[in-house]
Amino acid sequence: MAANFWTSSHYKQLMDQEDVDVVQPLDRDKGITLEDFKFIKMQMASYISKLAQHVKVRQRVVATAVTYMRRFFVRKSMTEYDPHLVAPTCLYLASKAEESTVQARLLVFYIKKIYSDEKYRYEVKDILEMEMKILEALNYYLVVFHPYRSLVQFLQDAGMNDINMTHLSWGLVNDTYKMDLILVHPPHLIALACIYIASVYRDKDTTAWFEELRVDMNVVKNISMEILDFYENQRMVTEERINAAFSKLALKP
Amino acid sequence: MAEVDLSKKVADRYLKREVLGEGTYGVVYKAIDTKTGQTVAIKKIRLGKQKEGVNFTALREIKLLKELKSPNIIELIDAFPHKGNLHLVFEFMETDLETVIRNTNIFLSPADIKSYMQMTLKGLAFCHKKWVLHRDMKPNNLLIGPNGQLKLADFGLARLFGSPDRKFTHQVFARWYRAPELLFGAKQYGAGVDVWAAGCIFAELLNRRPFLQMEMNLTLQEGTSDIDQLGKIFAAFGTATSSQWPDLAYLPDYVEYQFVAAPPLRSLFPTASDDALDLLSKMFTYDPKARITAQQALEHRYFSSAPLPTDPDKLPRPSAKRVSRLSDFNPQEGPTVLSPPRKSRRVMPEREGFDGNGRRVDKVEEHAGEEKHGDGDIAGRNDQVPMSVDFSIFASRPPTRPTINSADRSHLKRKLDLEFQHPE
Repeated sequence: MAANFWTSSHYKQLMDQEDVDVVQPLDRDKGITLEDFKFIKMQMASYISKLAQHVKVRQRVVATAVTYMRRFFVRKSMTEYDPHLVAPTCLYLASKAEESTVQARLLVFYIKKIYSDEKYRYEVKDILEMEMKILEALNYYLVVFHPYRSLVQFLQDAGMNDINMTHLSWGLVNDTYKMDLILVHPPHLIALACIYIASVYRDKDTTAWFEELRVDMNVVKNISMEILDFYENQRMVTEERINAAFSKLALKP
Repeated sequence: MAEVDLSKKVADRYLKREVLGEGTYGVVYKAIDTKTGQTVAIKKIRLGKQKEGVNFTALREIKLLKELKSPNIIELIDAFPHKGNLHLVFEFMETDLETVIRNTNIFLSPADIKSYMQMTLKGLAFCHKKWVLHRDMKPNNLLIGPNGQLKLADFGLARLFGSPDRKFTHQVFARWYRAPELLFGAKQYGAGVDVWAAGCIFAELLNRRPFLQMEMNLTLQEGTSDIDQLGKIFAAFGTATSSQWPDLAYLPDYVEYQFVAAPPLRSLFPTASDDALDLLSKMFTYDPKARITAQQALEHRYFSSAPLPTDPDKLPRPSAKRVSRLSDFNPQEGPTVLSPPRKSRRVMPEREGFDGNGRRVDKVEEHAGEEKHGDGDIAGRNDQVPMSVDFSIFASRPPTRPTINSADRSHLKRKLDLEFQHPE
């Protein structure tokens, strides 16, 4: 599919970072900052992968679900659409779109297992209703490209497809879904940034290989920096900080 | 509340007219788009009854058609929820190729046939370029618009085939249009399956009847019928041999057939030109790797030699009783149904599941199968790979995984800064 990314709806929908980093007015009124907004999305991305581990779907489904969730909150407020319902519904929709359907009642079962808290428990009916709203908010665009395929091809091409490099860079790609990179950058550039970080980390000289690729290395470098910044910032984040973001959201207007 | 108003507004955009028929997953009706004045067909997808939300087949169709915009592919104009049901708005199509082929009042000249084939292959080549397999090519799914344009429709069985080594079900296509590799149970296949089916459609245009048609009573006996269908194919083109098709004996359901020599192709298509016969033989090549592609077929000299394809506007179309329809709708007054009944292809022992309980087990098997398959390509199977590089903030999962600490980070950053002095 890589050859057709440039004609895909995914490519046409790529956004500038400034447009992704907009807190909806309704959420802003509750005191949600851009930082809160990012924490909540990150928390929901990890909620999606936690659920996905229970229902056993491929990583690709998780990646698609997280992308749907992030696209959704570019357009809709968290005040009107509870992230704790949007997240599992995105997984439900992504599982269909990626041809590995998960039953809604199975999801509901694991939601209840993960959350003892009443307010995060949702029923099948809620998921099905939300599915329609998500479809609409996504404007029915469901095909999403991910860095994984190009990652494998690049590693092969560079002769770095040993277990070590593959695992490290694959893990890095997984982590990029805790950020909004997939909404902003073409997936193959995200893959290259992950390979770049991994190769520097493992002290592999890839300069020659990168130079032969006809890509804008400034962009790759910027993505790499963003990823490294993310790792650094995560160190400072406490559970209290994340909980604070959710409590703001829970405030009654 | 906001979205209730919105959906009303969208629904108000369309003036509802008569019901056209019942599709596989809901009613299809004709409507006028008040915004453009265009006649459209709206598929209402029933939700209420099933517990699984938006119909899986409908979702596939939406997903793919949103990416496929071409003059030879049916256009999905709009989609909207209304009263709890999802509605899909398609361009309105007058008839379909099956109706044209069956209509004995219509004479199809060699140039007309060429035109229909060209449009079919254009639509197909476009799909394949976008890595979409149609998997249900048959005259009944080739719709014809008011200006004579032929368009591929019904993408309910279609799917993306980009991933290497992904396994698919071989239970696709109406049986008469199924390529030999599918009949032998191949689970990894490519665009060649659509080309074979297009070859069958070509043959059907020439002979005006389904080319590899089986007797109805035979097709009803599941299990034996794939074998019978292969027998039919071999009777037409001779028994496939390993010299023509090296992978033949390795296919899952391979059985040896008694050798039959191929009759001259000319005897099967007495009216076809030499160029047409040459193209047919390339579309019916047994080895899918050697089979002509849709794009190559378009470049075949058949399309550039005289007579040139008829202008779509001037193609003969049924005039008396225009049966207007959208992709999967069986006219109620029912002309002779010559295709196998729709049910036989909709109810499939599929691994891609709309079915409930069997599904879970099935998926595990599928994964196990893939595991065995692609050794060396670890990255393709994520379950062996650490989920994340640093889980500390989520305090979960894999105990042994590489982490990047702050010291590494500043070291990496320094290196990143150093190494890019040459932005060009």
